[in-house]
Amino acid sequence: MSDTTHSDAVFRPKPSLPPPPNTVGVVGWLRKNLFGGPIDTIFTVVGIWLIGTLLVTVYQYGIANAVWEANSYRECLDTVLPNGEKVGHSGACWAGVAVWMNQYIYGRYPDPEQWRVQLCLAILVLWLMPFWLPRVTAKIQTGLSAVLTFPFLAAHILLGGEAGSFLMLTSSLALALFVTVWLNVITSYAMNKSVGKLVVELTGMADKDDRLHKWVLLAGFAVVFLGALAYESSWDLVAVPTTDWGGLFLTLCISGIAIASAIPSGVILALGRRSKMPVIRVFCTMWIELFRSVPLITILFMAVTMMPLFLPVELNPDKLVMVIVAVCIFASAYMAEIVRGGLQAIPKGQYEAAQALGLNYWKVTTFIVMPQALKLMIPNIVGNFIGLLKDTTLVSIIGLYDILLMAKASGQDPNWLGLHAEPMLFAAGVFFIICFAMSKYSQHLERTIAGGYGRR
Amino acid sequence: MKKVNLLGLGAGLLAALSFTPEPVMAQESTLDIVKSRGILRCQVGTPAPGFYSLSDDGKWSGFDVENCRAVSAAIFGDPDKIEYQSVTSAVRFTAMANGESDMLSRTTTWTLFRDTQLGLDFTTVNFYDGQGFMVNKDLGLTSALELKGATVCVLTGTTTELNLTDYARTNDLGITPVVFEDSNVRDSTFFSGGCDAVTNDKSGLASIRAKAPDQTIFEILPETISKEPLGPVVRQNDSQWNDIVMWSVFAMVNAEELGMSSSNVDDMKANSANPEVKRMLGVEGDLNTGLGLGPDWAYNIIKMVGNYGENYEEYMGAKTVMNIPRKGSVNDLWTRGGLMYSPPFR
Repeated sequence: MSDTTHSDAVFRPKPSLPPPPNTVGVVGWLRKNLFGGPIDTIFTVVGIWLIGTLLVTVYQYGIANAVWEANSYRECLDTVLPNGEKVGHSGACWAGVAVWMNQYIYGRYPDPEQWRVQLCLAILVLWLMPFWLPRVTAKIQTGLSAVLTFPFLAAHILLGGEAGSFLMLTSSLALALFVTVWLNVITSYAMNKSVGKLVVELTGMADKDDRLHKWVLLAGFAVVFLGALAYESSWDLVAVPTTDWGGLFLTLCISGIAIASAIPSGVILALGRRSKMPVIRVFCTMWIELFRSVPLITILFMAVTMMPLFLPVELNPDKLVMVIVAVCIFASAYMAEIVRGGLQAIPKGQYEAAQALGLNYWKVTTFIVMPQALKLMIPNIVGNFIGLLKDTTLVSIIGLYDILLMAKASGQDPNWLGLHAEPMLFAAGVFFIICFAMSKYSQHLERTIAGGYGRR
Repeated sequence: MKKVNLLGLGAGLLAALSFTPEPVMAQESTLDIVKSRGILRCQVGTPAPGFYSLSDDGKWSGFDVENCRAVSAAIFGDPDKIEYQSVTSAVRFTAMANGESDMLSRTTTWTLFRDTQLGLDFTTVNFYDGQGFMVNKDLGLTSALELKGATVCVLTGTTTELNLTDYARTNDLGITPVVFEDSNVRDSTFFSGGCDAVTNDKSGLASIRAKAPDQTIFEILPETISKEPLGPVVRQNDSQWNDIVMWSVFAMVNAEELGMSSSNVDDMKANSANPEVKRMLGVEGDLNTGLGLGPDWAYNIIKMVGNYGENYEEYMGAKTVMNIPRKGSVNDLWTRGGLMYSPPFR
C-alpha cells in the first residue's frame, strides 16, 4: 500500500521529559505537602500563624523581656524595657529561678554538705558503668549488687551522723561490693582476667579443687569487707535528717529506689500470681489487687499519717522511709501486672519444650521464659517508670519538699512573692529532660537487646 | 522456695523501718519528750508569706515561726532547736493527733468545733485576722456595702466562699462569685480586671496586693466580714505543755507592754525596778517552776526572739511586702486600743 516501510524502523523511546517544574524541588514539595488544595492551604496558613505566634510569644516572654538579674520579684516587675515600659508580667523573672536553683536541686540539704549528694551520684554512675564496658564479665551480679545494696551506702553517706549497726553493716557490704566490682573492671582491662581468677592464681590455688576456690574468694571478700567496715567506722559526717532532703534530689531518691525495686518485686509477685501453690497465689493476687485498686495518694496518706497511729511510739518510723516503702509497694503491684502480661505472651510450647528437656521450674523461668518475656515488656516497663517518676510529685501533698513543692514554695518567699510560672516552667523542663531521656534509652534498648521481637 | 523469698522481702521492709533508731519513751509529758529528744517538732504550713515562709537558703521565718522559736528558746535557751514540719492543711490535725508534731503554729482559726472535737487545744491568739475585700481604686468604693451586683473572685471550697455568700445575702448585695481552684489564677484574673473585687482573709489580701505589678492601684475596704482568730495549737490533755506554749506567746505580748525588747532586755534585767519585770525575767520569785522551765525562760524568749511588736514589724509591718498597718488595729496592744492582752505575770 505504501512504501513508507523503513527497514530500520526500531522503536526508540523519546527521552523522558523533565518533570513539570512545579512538582520538583522546594516548590514541588510545598505544593505536594502544604498547598495541595484549598483545605490544605487553609490548614497550612493557620498552622504557620499559630506556630509563629507561639514562637514569638515564647521568645518575648522567655528571652526578649525576661529579667536575668534582680534581687526580688518586685525588681523584676519594675525593670524597665528598652521601649520605656516596665516588664510586669510580659517577661519571665529567671532571676528568681536562679536564686532558688540550689533549693530546687538539693532542697534544704545544707550547702557545705552537698558534695555528699554528688558523691552518691558519682558512685552510682561508676557502679553501673561496667554495664557498658564490653570486656567486663558478671554484669548480672554487678547490677544486682548495685540495686540491692547501693541504697544503704547512699543512706549512710547522705544521713551521716551515728549510723546504727544495721546500716553500718549493710553500707560496708555495699562499699566492699563496689570496690570488688571495680577491682574486677581493672583486672579485666589490665590483665584480661576477672578479679576472682587473679586472686585464685595469686594464692597459688589455681590447680586445686573448685570448692577450695570458693573459700579463697570468700576470704578475700571478707578482707575487703572488714576494710570497708573499718573505713566507714572512721567517717565523721554531719548528720542531715531526712526532713532536710528535698528538691530534685528527693524526687530522684524516691523514684530511683522505687524503680530499682519494682522489677525484682514485680517479677516475684507475677510469678507468685501464676503459681500453682494456693497460699502464694492468693497472697500475691490480694497484694496486687489491693494496692493497684487504691490511689497512690491514699497509700501515701496511710503510710505517713495513719501508720504512726497503729505503731508503737518507740518504733517512730522515719517519714521518708515510710514514703519510699509505700511507693515501692505501689510500684510493685503495677509492675507485677506488666510482667504477668509479658509472661502470658510466651507460647505454651516454650514451657513444654523446656520441661521436655528436663529443666525444672526455676531453670525454665530464668533461662527460657523470663528473657523472652522481659524483652517484650520493655515499652510497658519504661512507660510505667515514667509514670512513676511523675507520680512521686504527689509526695508534696504530705509535706515532702520535692522539686514541685519547692517550686511552689519559692513563689511564697516574701522576696519572690508572685513568682509562679517561672519555677513551674523550670520543673516542667527538668521532668521533660528526664522522661525523654528514659524514653530514648528504652528505644535504644529495644533495638539492641530485643532482637527479632523488637520494634519493626 | 518462693515463701522464703517473700519472707525475706518482709524482713527487709521491717529492717528498713528501723533505719533511724530514735528512742522515745512512751507515756511521758510532751515537755519530757521534747527535752529528751533535744529538738522541738513544730508544724507550720506550706509557705504563706508573712506567717511562715522558706527562704532561698532553706531557712524558715515568719510571724508564726516566731512562736516555735519562742517555745524552743524557753525550753532549750536556743531558738533554733526546731524541726519544722511543713504539711498541707489537709493533714495538719492528723499530724498533731498521731504525735508527729509537738505543736502547730500555722494560721489556724480557733473555732468551737476544732477546739472540742479534734482532740486539740487552742492556746491563745497571736493574730486576729478577718475576711475582707480588695478593689481597684478606680471604682471609687469606700465600703463593701457598695459592692452591689459586683463580681468577686474567691477560692472555691473554703469558708471564705461561704462567708461571702452569707454576707451577700444578709446585705442583699447580689454578688456574683467567680470561683477559682488555684490562688495564682485567681490573682492574675483579678489583676487583669476579670472581677471587680477579690475576697480573702485580710492578711491574704495584703499578700495578693504584694504580687500585683502595680500595688498602688488597689485598696482594701474597711469591712471585716468574719472573725479569724489565729494561734498556736497543742494536743489535748497536757495542760503543762499547753501552758508553756500559751505563756511563751504571752511573754512576747507582755514584754512589749512593759517596754522590753531584744535590744534593752539585758539592761532591764540588770536595772529595772519594776517588780513585774523582775518576776518575769526570773530575777525575783519562782514563776518558772510551775511551767517546768528554767528561770531564764522569758528572758531567753525576749532576748532571742523579741517582743510581739518587733516580730510584727519584721514580718507584717510597713517595711515588709505584707504592709499591714498595726496602729489602732485589733492586733495592737490593749493599751493602744487593740486586742493584744496578756494576763499578768505574777
